[in-house]
Amino acid sequence: MKLTRREFSAGLAAGLAAPALMRSAWAQGATIKIGMCVPVTGPAAEQGLWAQNGAKLALAAVNKAGGVLGKQVELVIEDDQTTNPGIVLAFSKLAAQSDIVAFLGSIRSTQVQAMAPDVIKVGKPVMIGGTNPDLTHSGNPWLFRFRPNDNYSGRVIADFGVNTLGKKKWAIVHSTDAFGTAGGKALTEALTKLGAPPVLDQGYANQSQDFTPVVLAVKQSGADVLGTYFTFENDLGIFARQLRQLGVNIPWVGSPSVVAVSSTKLAGPALFGTYGVADFAEDSSDTAKAFGKSYRDAYKTAPDNQSAWPYDAITILSAAINKAGSTDPTKIRDAILATQKFAGAEGEYNFDKNGDGLHGYNVVKNDKGKIVYDKHIDFND
Amino acid sequence: MSASDNMIPAPAVRSKPLIIRHLPYFIGAAALVALAAGMQFDGYILNILLQATTFSIAVFGLSVVLGLCGQINLAQAAFFGFGAYAVGLGTADLHLNFWLCLVGACAITLVAGAFLGMSTLRLGGHYLAMVTISFQQIVTLVMINAIGVTHGPDGVANIRRPELFQSSQSYLAFCVAMLAIVGYLVWHLPDTKLGRAMRAVRDNELAAGVNGIDVFRTKVYAFAVCAVLGGLAGGLFAGGFAYVSPDQFSFAESIQFLTMSLLGGVASPIGSAIGTGLLILIPEWLRFLKSVPGLYLAIYGLSVILIIRFMPDGIWGFVSDAFTRWRARTNAPPVAGALLLKPATTGGDIVLEVTGLSKHFGGLKAVDGVDIAVKRGSVHALIGPNGSGKTTTLNVLSGLYKATAGKIVLDGTDITSMAPHQRTAAGLGRTFQNIRLFRSMTALENVEIGAERPGNTMIGKGDDALTERAMEALTFVGLGNRANELISSFSYGHQRLIEIARALASNPTLLLLDEPAAGLNSTEKLELHELLKRIAAQGLTILIIDHDMTLVSEAAQHITVLNFGRRIADGESMAVLRHPDVVSAYLGSE
Amino acid sequence: MDLVLQLLFTGIGIGAVYALVALGFVLIFRATNVVNFAQGEFSMVAAYLMVVFSVDLGWPYWLSFLIALAGMALFGVIFNLGVYYPLRHRTYLPVIIATIGASILLSNSVLAIYGPQPQVLQGWFDTPGIQLGPVYLDSQYLLIIGVTILLVLFNFWFFEKTLLGKKLQATSQDKEMASLLGISVSTMIMITFIYSAVLGGLAGILVAPVLFVSIQMGSTIALKAFAATIIGGFGDVAGAIVGGLALGVIETFGAAYISVPYKDGFAFLVLIAFLVFRPQGIFGERVAEKA
Repeated sequence: MKLTRREFSAGLAAGLAAPALMRSAWAQGATIKIGMCVPVTGPAAEQGLWAQNGAKLALAAVNKAGGVLGKQVELVIEDDQTTNPGIVLAFSKLAAQSDIVAFLGSIRSTQVQAMAPDVIKVGKPVMIGGTNPDLTHSGNPWLFRFRPNDNYSGRVIADFGVNTLGKKKWAIVHSTDAFGTAGGKALTEALTKLGAPPVLDQGYANQSQDFTPVVLAVKQSGADVLGTYFTFENDLGIFARQLRQLGVNIPWVGSPSVVAVSSTKLAGPALFGTYGVADFAEDSSDTAKAFGKSYRDAYKTAPDNQSAWPYDAITILSAAINKAGSTDPTKIRDAILATQKFAGAEGEYNFDKNGDGLHGYNVVKNDKGKIVYDKHIDFND
Repeated sequence: MSASDNMIPAPAVRSKPLIIRHLPYFIGAAALVALAAGMQFDGYILNILLQATTFSIAVFGLSVVLGLCGQINLAQAAFFGFGAYAVGLGTADLHLNFWLCLVGACAITLVAGAFLGMSTLRLGGHYLAMVTISFQQIVTLVMINAIGVTHGPDGVANIRRPELFQSSQSYLAFCVAMLAIVGYLVWHLPDTKLGRAMRAVRDNELAAGVNGIDVFRTKVYAFAVCAVLGGLAGGLFAGGFAYVSPDQFSFAESIQFLTMSLLGGVASPIGSAIGTGLLILIPEWLRFLKSVPGLYLAIYGLSVILIIRFMPDGIWGFVSDAFTRWRARTNAPPVAGALLLKPATTGGDIVLEVTGLSKHFGGLKAVDGVDIAVKRGSVHALIGPNGSGKTTTLNVLSGLYKATAGKIVLDGTDITSMAPHQRTAAGLGRTFQNIRLFRSMTALENVEIGAERPGNTMIGKGDDALTERAMEALTFVGLGNRANELISSFSYGHQRLIEIARALASNPTLLLLDEPAAGLNSTEKLELHELLKRIAAQGLTILIIDHDMTLVSEAAQHITVLNFGRRIADGESMAVLRHPDVVSAYLGSE
Repeated sequence: MDLVLQLLFTGIGIGAVYALVALGFVLIFRATNVVNFAQGEFSMVAAYLMVVFSVDLGWPYWLSFLIALAGMALFGVIFNLGVYYPLRHRTYLPVIIATIGASILLSNSVLAIYGPQPQVLQGWFDTPGIQLGPVYLDSQYLLIIGVTILLVLFNFWFFEKTLLGKKLQATSQDKEMASLLGISVSTMIMITFIYSAVLGGLAGILVAPVLFVSIQMGSTIALKAFAATIIGGFGDVAGAIVGGLALGVIETFGAAYISVPYKDGFAFLVLIAFLVFRPQGIFGERVAEKA
């Protein structure tokens, strides 16, 4: 019995070592490798697919233009299973390949938080899309954000609603997950600063089958404008329909999910006339238009922010490595931070010392099912 | 009976001192720890190993509750999470010492596990599955929504490790050491009193109850042990990964723990470790299937079905089963002395006094106002046609049914409202019409459970006393030479004898035999008759229920006859058998 | 008052969904003594079948509906043969775990085939709903409530008045006795799985226009439906319906008046309370006593 146990352990160790050995054998390629952690399975597999599409589009462009440091760039993709332990394993698996020079992390803030300790240990640049402000403000020098953080989305929603629409009685509805909670908080703060503290701050749990109590709470609050942070599009779809059914027709300014492609499809007319902040809006700039065109050509569907940020991340990262003239992590880092006035699909990148590239949002409107660009609001701080 | 006392292993057959026989295990474990500390792993391998090590400890918990005790727990991830949050919040927010937090993690999960167990383990089965799922869901909701305490979905970051094990490598070595210690305890748990009780409860709750095991308490212990191991594992996990968040402790994770345990083999910690290792590694190896979303999880689901179908005892169960059978054949049991029965004699001349006993099922009066008085040292028979209420009476006597009315006094003690295991402690031993042995155990282990009856005065001091007593009882029924064989290898008649030996080993005051001759051939019946004589010769009182008139009329001095739930005759054997009511009841009076 | 009525309607609507799924649980539990943890996936699979026929192939709604239900009947046969039947002589534990495995297999197979995007399925009616005084009645929920009522009546008729129903009853109460009476137990169990799969599928198709068609649509509902069956008294058909409705109402009012984020918690708290204080459920009279 004891003997077998020992043998088993030895076998386990051998089994673990084998793939590692094989990897190092074929690792000596003539390409520059960029690792990407992305959900291939799990609840966000859908968005993961779009993220891969965006990254591959940028990759193709970079390689067509001669690659990086004279070599072709290769993307190494690992499934993060949409879970925190999943991304820890996925990232550490990528990090173990020493020839990977930089990484694309997650659009989900908790996943970035989960992988952050390993990011510090590895000491190589990681591009992220998670919008929790803390990520780039907690002393981790290796995280670079390619989407505006939630402080800006809250401020833009508040600014647009109060100054452009002229509404001051706000109801806030947000998911109780990390994204929704942080967003709701940022919006509340921004509104309070503008002298219009919300009359209702209502959280809900993801994957609810029914939003009647939430809608009735909005209705009863007497609010004349609605601000939302929804995480999942099917929740948003159910909420939007019930909101209209129960006769709530106040203006609605929401986080990016309100104007996401799949929400528009799911909720149909219930979302007509709503405003959403969007880090990506196809009509916001020429670069965005160009990205939109090539994305449509390649994948036959409209792009959204899930695909835009990895596109920008690959583009800027490649440019930064070329500028640094080396794959040394510190030099790449300096080159990314030095990126200013760079026109990307998501907007104009001006990296600050924290590693935040974008400082504002587009406001877009759902005009009878079509997402149209309304205006861009940028902040300087 | 306290959990900690029982953690000291007491294996059945011993030749060398414990420490020497188990030395290879500790040497192996030490080598593993050294390997974990000394070998250079990259971050990926390190994370995988750390995950496998901590998960294994949690899965050990399941091998106790599910494998040993046969109770389902679909909330192991919640307990794992309790432990992780205790260490996470304790070290990161409250800046407490890691060790203090780890102990706290174990304490919290112990309380939570025991509480959850106490509230629901009386229900068992599907209810238990449901309650544990509900508990799991509520814990997840609280982790997400009680933002003030748990930081909500953001999770807890910057979790610290103990000063001693700051580097990942040394921390891994520490976790492997913990794994080895916990593994050792869990491995030997089945051979302790508590472990045997758990196995008995798993194999047959009824038989466990009438053999003096407090079924409910045993389940609660098993559940609490499982929860504590979950908490310990969670605490270690939190220290290892420095970050925890609610989605790591969801229902899906509980299912994963369960699958790990089943895959490897639920009955043993080795199986748990194998299962955990495989289920962490397999999805990693199958990542090449990732081009189609969902494909590898689909394969995972399919494998679960196939494992359950074709490898019910898991991978390790498959291997060890063959090994156990081989060992059972080769290991000669020790020679035993003669069995001594010394029934207690605190009461008066009447050992069992039943007055006005009734048991009604809804409108049906299965037993209605029955009186029985069993004299000390006698063989007393309870007979009656089919459906006359004999077995119901016996079940009321042994506490499986609650009496609707009436009083039962055993050797001066009123046992009417006692639970089955309490009656056994009070001196009642019984066998079943349809044999209820613990099928996964050897004959010897079955009888040991009987010998372990609380208050058994015939057990001497020392480690081997229990085994000696059980061997004596098995030898007494003529099966001493086959003590180490599994129950399944015995004939029906021999299984019946083992059941009697199990009751005898407990040195009861009164032995209830429920149709002991049913299904026996004529030679076996003769043997049984001889056995009853030898038992009676030692002064043990027997209450026997049987159809076999020859056996009853030859063995019993006194007979009580039931029909339609009522007593129709009572008295000295020959007189009763000639009683006209009895004759008509048996031959039919219409 | 308006508020209360609106909440009540929604609660009953969502409760009827739980009840429909719970019914499928109860039938299988009564016939086999096993809780089918893949019951939620039955609903999910049926909703996807509906999407395939009605949306992708563009066939008429009623035809797609009939084909999807027929598909579910076939699915019930496969499920029984693949998951339950080989394990029928084992204890409840391996079977439970096999159904959990089936649930993982089903949801991820659909993910692999159909991709992760949620799908839209049109409702039965063109009008989304009607305004009745202060209360808005969603037409799809009205349909669900109507179907639930019909099913209660149908089940009563089927199990009490037809020979097949009585045979099924007999089988669920005492398998040995039933087989002595010449009833083929395995046929009865097969029929139960088919009926249960069709019921689960019906629930999925009815609820899809409200909740959209997604991989996870079945699992959340199934957990609530479990709770409903226990609240109603495990193994009791009427109990499953009442338990489902009660749960829907409790949840909706709990969300409105106590806490929205903890909405899912109410179901489980009620469940635990029932298990501790009244394990036999609302209707259960049979106390489990065995020897």
